[in-house]
Amino acid sequence: MLSTGTRLRSWILAIGLCVGVAACGTPAPTSSSAATKGPLTIGISVSLTGDFSNTGKAAQLGYQLWASQVNAKGGVLGRQVQLTFADDASSPTQVVTNYQNFISRDNVDLVFGPYSSLLTLAAAKVANRYGYAFVEGAGNGPSVFAAHLPNLIDAGPATAINGAQVWGDYILSLPADQRPKTAAYPSLDDPFSQPAAAALQARFEAAGIKTVYSQIYPAETTSLGGVIAKVASTNPDMVVSGSQDADGWAQVQAMIQQKFNPQFLFMTNGPENPVDFPKNVGAQNTQGIFTSDVWTYNAPIPGNTAFVQAYIAKFGGDPSQIDSTSAQTYAVGQLIEAVAAKTGKIDNATIIATLHQGSYQTVVGVVSVDQYGAPKGSQFLEEWIGGTLTIVYPPNIAEHAPVIPKPVWP
Amino acid sequence: MHLFIQAIILGVLTGGLYALMTSGLTLTFGTMRIINMAQGVFVVCGAYIGFTLFNYLHIDPFLSILVSTPLLFAIGFTLQTFLLKPLRHDAHRLSLLMTWAMAIGLEGILSFIFGTDFRGILTTYQNSSWTIAGYEIPVVRALAFLLSVAILVGMYLLLTRTKFGRSVRAVSQRESAAKLLGVNTDRTAALAFGLGAATAGAAGAMFGLVSSFDPASHYDLIGRLLAICVIGGLGSNAGAIAGAVILALSESLVQAELSPAWSSVPFYVLLIIVLIARPQGLFGVRARGAI
Repeated sequence: MLSTGTRLRSWILAIGLCVGVAACGTPAPTSSSAATKGPLTIGISVSLTGDFSNTGKAAQLGYQLWASQVNAKGGVLGRQVQLTFADDASSPTQVVTNYQNFISRDNVDLVFGPYSSLLTLAAAKVANRYGYAFVEGAGNGPSVFAAHLPNLIDAGPATAINGAQVWGDYILSLPADQRPKTAAYPSLDDPFSQPAAAALQARFEAAGIKTVYSQIYPAETTSLGGVIAKVASTNPDMVVSGSQDADGWAQVQAMIQQKFNPQFLFMTNGPENPVDFPKNVGAQNTQGIFTSDVWTYNAPIPGNTAFVQAYIAKFGGDPSQIDSTSAQTYAVGQLIEAVAAKTGKIDNATIIATLHQGSYQTVVGVVSVDQYGAPKGSQFLEEWIGGTLTIVYPPNIAEHAPVIPKPVWP
Repeated sequence: MHLFIQAIILGVLTGGLYALMTSGLTLTFGTMRIINMAQGVFVVCGAYIGFTLFNYLHIDPFLSILVSTPLLFAIGFTLQTFLLKPLRHDAHRLSLLMTWAMAIGLEGILSFIFGTDFRGILTTYQNSSWTIAGYEIPVVRALAFLLSVAILVGMYLLLTRTKFGRSVRAVSQRESAAKLLGVNTDRTAALAFGLGAATAGAAGAMFGLVSSFDPASHYDLIGRLLAICVIGGLGSNAGAIAGAVILALSESLVQAELSPAWSSVPFYVLLIIVLIARPQGLFGVRARGAI
């Protein structure tokens, strides 16, 4: 039998443990404005290894550039920004662990998003559970916004799907006699590309452009010769390819090999990469190919030139080699600065409330999101003209008028 | 009809390359009874060797086979000697895990060196095609097909007309008897594994020409190669060729005539039928020594 003193000590210990566990398990989101004058700590999971490592590193560079610039200016509301990175190995399991550690173990003030929609969705749910704002620049797939997370804000001008609608805007702006009459839609089975192509198909069909081919090919398809042979046999005026990088290159190569040349060729992804696309299809074969994009190094967006110059000064290299992911993560930091400037506070609740209203200028354009953090805007249309990726639509930011029809392959 | 014949042309050309990739897998199984899960990553290594030589030394990918083949042979020989040979007392069970570990390890090394972005090799003749009777024959695929056939013929001659080939066939038929007759079975196994990797090295340089790739491409490749092996008959070179052509032809035809979403289905349905009706594969035999 336990003595009264021993029992009392046991009760005190048990209560103490319960309080301790509760305190560790559900930390209140930090109210940074009131809390401290110390550094503003921000936890970010990045894919430094694994499948997303190349782009994950680009995401890290954007965050680092923003932090160095804002710290040189005196920090956010006088607080130096202190970034803490953790490698998630491109794993949705590890990314959850990383954000739980940032929030419940490290008690960071804020968290920023990782790279890819896959990891963003998993991570944003963790942040939401703890009441943390989740501002991210590289996760705008439909699954992210379908989760209806109130803490999420995507720091881009458009979602992955709506972005491609600029091609629809342009085609339907053409006089009826210049519009394509028939269209083919070969699309990769991918959560970004295929829905984007399908949305365009629905819009074009409603406008009277007849669909002559619409098929989805699996991601593991290594040869697209059969697909393009079928597309060529239907002889469409326009091809809208729901593509990503590698299959986009394969589509172009197969079109050239089979001497099939549509009058209009729009690809959701692939041609927007100014380095890899010409390297893989041949610079001479790029002429007249359209794509949509959220950012390029020469886009006439306020602050973009300064961003590019600062990036080159800090990391070196060539402007054309800057990954758009770096600009998108840099924009995340710009949004935080905007909140601080607008409200004089930088806590999670203020960030969530502020960014869900109004619009904010960033290096990737004007950011304005709906209640679930999905951007409301559109991307811009680019065309390869004379070996250069050129903004051609909308007219207010176009560097050159669109060149149509597409010339024959050289 | 035009589309049908065009799809057959593309399918046959692709099938030749798959046959070369699979022949190494068949050889390894025939001699060592090992299913080499690293064959796919050996192909990817060959692709990266072709990519590196082309981009930095401007060596044509078809010529880079002269480098990738001996290099992959050396890698295969070394891996067999140091990692697989010690397992031979329980090779059937453990080799599957060991070769899979090799695949993961080599993928990691490739990711470290080259990153994880997709790569492609763009030669001056990459997008060229010959028009014959109204049909387009992509130059790259045609050359890859012809070279694959030439290497497969060379492999056949090596296995049937040389002392090494006799050793391989002896080991594949009955290892203990081969040992009694003076065949150095350990050395033969290492050479055969190296040769299997070498075929992947040759095929890889051409694979990099016809398809973009990244370090993780081997997952899809090994799935296809194993399926080809099983449908053709594990250990049968003729079966490897037949299985590869059936796979590529069915994919190309279904892609063009029906839907790309269903392109893999006919082959895998046939695979299930073969496994039920003729488990040894179309060209396989129940006894050892199909090679």
